[in-house]
Amino acid sequence: MKYVPTIGIECHVQLSTKTKLFSEVDNDARGKEPNSCVSPVDYALPGMLPRLNGEAIKYAIRAGRAMHCNINAFSRFDRKHYFYPDSPKGYQITQFYQPIIGSGFVELPSGTKIRIEHAHLEGDAGKLTHFSDYSLVDLNRVDTPLIEIVSMPDIHSPKDAHDYCKELWRLMCYAEVTYGDLYNGNMRFDVNISLAEEDAKELGTRAEIKNLNSFKSVERAAEYEIKRQSRLLDAGEKVVQETRGWDDASGKTTGQRSKEEAKDYRYMPEPDLPPINLSKEFIDAESAKLPLMPDDYREKFNQKISEDILEILLDYPSLMKKLNEIDEKNVKSLSNLFASVLLAEEKSAEYLNDLPPSKDLNELAEMNEKKELSSTATKEVFLKLFDPQMKGRGAKNIAKELGLVQENDLGALQKIVDTVLAKPETQKAQEDFRNGQEKVIGFLVGQVMKESHGKANPAAVQEILRKTLTK
Amino acid sequence: MDIKCEDVNHLADLSDFSLSKKQADALKDDLQSIIKYISQLDEMDTKNVEPTYQVFEMENVWRDDEILPQQADREDLLALAKKTENHQIKVPKVL
Repeated sequence: MKYVPTIGIECHVQLSTKTKLFSEVDNDARGKEPNSCVSPVDYALPGMLPRLNGEAIKYAIRAGRAMHCNINAFSRFDRKHYFYPDSPKGYQITQFYQPIIGSGFVELPSGTKIRIEHAHLEGDAGKLTHFSDYSLVDLNRVDTPLIEIVSMPDIHSPKDAHDYCKELWRLMCYAEVTYGDLYNGNMRFDVNISLAEEDAKELGTRAEIKNLNSFKSVERAAEYEIKRQSRLLDAGEKVVQETRGWDDASGKTTGQRSKEEAKDYRYMPEPDLPPINLSKEFIDAESAKLPLMPDDYREKFNQKISEDILEILLDYPSLMKKLNEIDEKNVKSLSNLFASVLLAEEKSAEYLNDLPPSKDLNELAEMNEKKELSSTATKEVFLKLFDPQMKGRGAKNIAKELGLVQENDLGALQKIVDTVLAKPETQKAQEDFRNGQEKVIGFLVGQVMKESHGKANPAAVQEILRKTLTK
Repeated sequence: MDIKCEDVNHLADLSDFSLSKKQADALKDDLQSIIKYISQLDEMDTKNVEPTYQVFEMENVWRDDEILPQQADREDLLALAKKTENHQIKVPKVL
């Protein structure tokens, strides 16, 4: 039987504000000791009052606009109750009834539009590390601001699920609301999947796979679920509505807990946080601060950069920003260098953190354009521009230091040509050339290049040689 | 709604409290009477009433995104936990 898969995705994005959502504590716990970024509010000590971080509201507006979403002027917080050691409060503060971000859409590179149902602000939970008979709790992550983005069930293939997650990641990075480090859980995906027969009016029973943290695992988990559910349905069995875990190593999902015993979260209004009521001016002002988005870059550069290269470079917001800063005439050559040299370089991750000034990149592109650098030398100098040892010296100086500047001075080249032509070992070749043996010109060019220690421009050398020999 | 001793013990368990039999009994009676008192509200028809978020009619109370020193540090807060290990709170096996 052929089934149509329907996939909905909830994505949690950790916001990169300086402080947490409800306390004035460092929100950046990267590389810090467990429980070192905590306050009595995070511990939910009696009488502690959460205080809303205004910056998180601004981040939410930018994130929402990046997804073409309406921003709701009026929003408020609710408590979602559950007992688990990752939450000292015994509830999560979230926006259940009136979220700040309304409906919108995300357009995939293929052109498919995935609608966004809504997105809301909430606090993250602490981190548990499980051991054989106990668990350890680190509360650094408690109440890190999150936006949970809820898609409509518009995704119908594992590939689209992958592309949607990737595009969301790009949008959030370009909107500058998250560090976007997937490995460290800055974005996490819950994927729900159901199958229905073609032409069926209702969706099938869905299974949910929680806490995926890479695009590839989203795609693989969706593929696996489609196969698993197809087999069940083909055999006349039922899909159970449940939460399943994904094991990256085995490439399988396994049942965790059944939704039939789903708990009642006892949602109730959060009385400690007054509602948010934003003016149109406030929303417009924040929306205007949204930086250029991937689509803006696609539109801007589609004539200059091939689609393949553009889609690769779009994964690196800092490179796109740089391409936007440099002189327009250099965009094509530098985008090629970014894609084929920088990203292939072993240290590219380190280099990407600190790009050279635009004027150095422009200088390099112009030297290449004027043939002052061969293409090999251009690549070499290009990488040196990123090298912490060489940085800031400028393309010209580095090229000179490394002796890579090509000799284009016709007078100087003529002198070298004359020296070579005066040498006894070139006499036979000169004669052969005059007798019509075209090929020996290569040998003579080689001799001149050698004499110039590789600095001569080969095309110019050949021209001068021809002129001199046919005089 | 009838509150039983098991309910009190279940709640205590979830909150990681230990209660003596006497305490549990007393809490059971207290909870029972609180719920009975609150249940009077059930007589009201609240079908078209919006839930009350707050009674002060405040809006847009938020703070700047600046890190402030805290009155209690990591060790003060960890000292409140029953058990700790490597600067983390140690809890019974979950899941």
